[in-house]
Amino acid sequence: MQADTVDEVNSIYVDFLGKSGKLTKELKNLKKIPEDRRPEVGRLANEIKSTIEEVIRDKKQELKKGEGKKRVEKLDITRPGIKPNLGSLHLVTHAVREISQIFEGIGFSRVAYPEVEWDWYAFEALNFPEDHPARDEWETFFIDTEPDKKLGPMILTPHTSSGQVREMLNIVKSSSGKQIAPIRMLNLAKCYRRQSDVSHTEMFHQFEGLVVDEGITISHLKGVLEHFVKSYFGKDRKARIRPYQFQFTEPSFEVDLSCGICNGRGCRLCKEGWLEMGGAGMVHPNVLRAGKIDPERYTGFAFGWGVERVLMMKEGLNLPDLRLIYSNRIEFLKQF
Amino acid sequence: MNIQILDSWLKEHIETGAKPPDISKCLSLSSVSVERMEKTDSDYLYDIEITTNRADLMSIAGIARELSAVLPQYGFKARLIEESLRRHVKFENKSDLLEIKMDESLVNRVTAVVMEVKANNSPDFIKNRLEKSDIRSLNNLIDITNYIMREVGHPAHVFDLDRLNTKKLIIRASRSGETITTLDEKTHVLKGGDIVAEDERGRIVDLLGIMGLKNSVVTDKTSKILLFLDNNNPQLIRKTSLALGIRSEAAILNEKGVDPELITPTILKGIELYEKYANGKVVGNILDIYPNKPEIKKITARKKRISDVIGVDIDEKTLTSILENLSFEVENAKDIIRVTVPSFRVNDVRIEEDIIEEVARVYGYHKIPVLLPPIKQKKASNLQKNKFYWENRVKDAFKYWGFNEVYTYSMISENLFEGPIDTAVKILNPLSEEHVFMRRTLIPSLLEVVRNNYSDNLMLFEIANVYLKKKGDLPEEVQHLAGVIKKNSNRIFFEAKGIIEQLFNDLGIESYAFKNRSEGGAGADVFIKNRQVGDIEFLEEGLVNFELHFENLISFATMKKVYKPIPEYPPVIEDIRVEAKKEVPYEKIVFVMSSQSNLVSNVELFDEYENKMTFRITYQDRTKSLSNEDVTPIREKIISALKTKLKAKVG
Repeated sequence: MQADTVDEVNSIYVDFLGKSGKLTKELKNLKKIPEDRRPEVGRLANEIKSTIEEVIRDKKQELKKGEGKKRVEKLDITRPGIKPNLGSLHLVTHAVREISQIFEGIGFSRVAYPEVEWDWYAFEALNFPEDHPARDEWETFFIDTEPDKKLGPMILTPHTSSGQVREMLNIVKSSSGKQIAPIRMLNLAKCYRRQSDVSHTEMFHQFEGLVVDEGITISHLKGVLEHFVKSYFGKDRKARIRPYQFQFTEPSFEVDLSCGICNGRGCRLCKEGWLEMGGAGMVHPNVLRAGKIDPERYTGFAFGWGVERVLMMKEGLNLPDLRLIYSNRIEFLKQF
Repeated sequence: MNIQILDSWLKEHIETGAKPPDISKCLSLSSVSVERMEKTDSDYLYDIEITTNRADLMSIAGIARELSAVLPQYGFKARLIEESLRRHVKFENKSDLLEIKMDESLVNRVTAVVMEVKANNSPDFIKNRLEKSDIRSLNNLIDITNYIMREVGHPAHVFDLDRLNTKKLIIRASRSGETITTLDEKTHVLKGGDIVAEDERGRIVDLLGIMGLKNSVVTDKTSKILLFLDNNNPQLIRKTSLALGIRSEAAILNEKGVDPELITPTILKGIELYEKYANGKVVGNILDIYPNKPEIKKITARKKRISDVIGVDIDEKTLTSILENLSFEVENAKDIIRVTVPSFRVNDVRIEEDIIEEVARVYGYHKIPVLLPPIKQKKASNLQKNKFYWENRVKDAFKYWGFNEVYTYSMISENLFEGPIDTAVKILNPLSEEHVFMRRTLIPSLLEVVRNNYSDNLMLFEIANVYLKKKGDLPEEVQHLAGVIKKNSNRIFFEAKGIIEQLFNDLGIESYAFKNRSEGGAGADVFIKNRQVGDIEFLEEGLVNFELHFENLISFATMKKVYKPIPEYPPVIEDIRVEAKKEVPYEKIVFVMSSQSNLVSNVELFDEYENKMTFRITYQDRTKSLSNEDVTPIREKIISALKTKLKAKVG
């Protein structure tokens, strides 16, 4: 049968077997055939009819296959896909998740403590002397309210360290007997300081680690630090600790990260190959005492680093101004 | 604070084989950070950051002493070169030339000497060393005071004795309103409580510890000087320096607390330099009034505790030599050491932990092994109650629904604050008018972001705290979830509603309801189990927002999964077109239809054209296949109910 499309086949079918088709007409003439020959001719006619139908069915199938193939050949895969909705998470959320996961992997649990805080938790319990510059109105935000007789003025917490003593008191309260449950806290929260420039915003985020248990040493601090640096920044970046001074730790350390731009050789953006990541140290015995923990029996370490800061130190982000993070320009948000 | 010093100057005080890069590295790792090391001509310049507790390192001599303790731990030989200063002049608490009266609560020690001198340019090495230290060279008389401060460590001042022209100096607290003109020719009005010296005629001639005054400063014609070293109350110095905005080298150093013992070597070095480089001759004795000596303390430290905290066994020999090289005196007993703290560290080293720090840092933090803390049994926490888990889940949902997450400030301006302003938690010392009040709702911040972005198509969300004022206590901090949709669409309210419905479905929350808002404009209040958890606000055509009390919301969220058997028999599905009056709510139509038989398992809007709605009805029997004979009477019942109860047209 000579036909190139299903339509052609259909018209052939109609031509033969349609209501006024050639074969249909012939079949109607059956009545004119003498009675004794009718059964034989009838059978023959039906055979012809079903043969034609079969040929047509086969041809149709063959042609449909071919047409399908042609459709696939015509598919222009360079046209855009039909995309499901995709928004974005904020850069800080990405960092918070990465940091949390890294510390949860080594047994830390996330907590949340007040952002509007009493001076006692933010400074006094952390061994800050009364005249320490951090406690004055140039550096810390104060709330317009009466100071508490015991806890002092109300402030916006300038660091996540204010969670240290809160965590200790919570753990001591919930521990039974004289043994306290080991503390492995990750306090990641908003903090506030009176500073706004290229590398500071009035509101920012810190993450604070606190580990308190029997037998905790500087070695353990180094272990946790190393784990974080390799996990977050990659195996090629190095960390070191060097002496520093903080009120609530003794010994105190500054943690440096090898510069990702010059690989530690020293360049315009770093200090002799190193970037300052933040503070750390062994918890000061006065701080443990404020948390009702016996410093003779338990030791601990703590660190508090800026979320935005570690974010900026990651290779490749190339953010020229920290304030962009809180600009909430849609062109910025959609990038992450 | 930073100090810049030349390697060649440092090497006059310490003999070592360590090269400048070694010195930089060892100091940074074990003492104070060398932020930069630069080669200059044939010399090296170190720029060192000194932490505020180590004012004793703000000098060549201090750094040299520190290096003599640190370098040996890194395998370098180091020997401190002690200068033998001639003590040909006596220190006495009286002088025929000058009487000094002072208040002991203001000043710890004052030491002064009269010299005949000749003013001139300084020799090149002094000029060069000072300028590399970032101190301007003026003339030999002034340069020497700066030079000895840098080299030995105590700030010093020099008066022109003839211009001073007095037999008596009285050191007292200033009175409010007194005015002075400092040697840089700036006039200041004092607030009171500043430490000043006045002459016998009551004229103020010095602002102690901060800066000299114009009326008594040396000039090129000066031939007689009073070299004057004063050690003051650091808190008062800081207060005055900050209030007047005079951040001189001396003030920055004095406010940290300088060791008064340092006055002795500093003034002797000064005399020597005036003799050498200004034809100087001492007249009379050194006047030295010293009421407040540093309190020398002994600290006991347990050897085991030292090793326990560091995590390394430090042997007795190492322990002793580290401390002795840092000028501590060490008495060894069986399990403990008794340590006498040098005068220049008494404010900084007070307890056992301070001794541990001294030992650990000089021993070298890099030598301490790296270990993770042992994992011990902690209290198990229930994931269902972990708000961070839900926060992550919800944030992901919004992201994949096309929302962009924002972080806005917790503090807002008065304009953005909703409600009576006295219900606000207010910041007493804001940095700008934009950030004065702690917010009670997230919506104004989100709408501000909408205004600042020139886009017709925005979907934004944030999860953050709001702050509810409480009397006599910290404000209540409540986590909220808020979103805003800006879009050219007349169905925008239903997009917001749909988001919330799907959020509840995702969190496994079943009994929720949307009710007309009890206050405010168009929109809906959102309830879960009859408790309001938030609202949707239809602001204007194309702009809608919603805010939910996130903590309440997640208290209804569940991880519980319940399997309902899948129906074995096929449902019968048919469509029915209803034309109801406008005032009949959709919810009521669905209710009328689904309440006619419990075989109606679902009714949903399928299509809508003007006020004709096509509903798709699903009939389902869990026990058998439904036939036409089963469905027909129900359908008729539904049609009749729609007609009689709602006066609707059906067909």
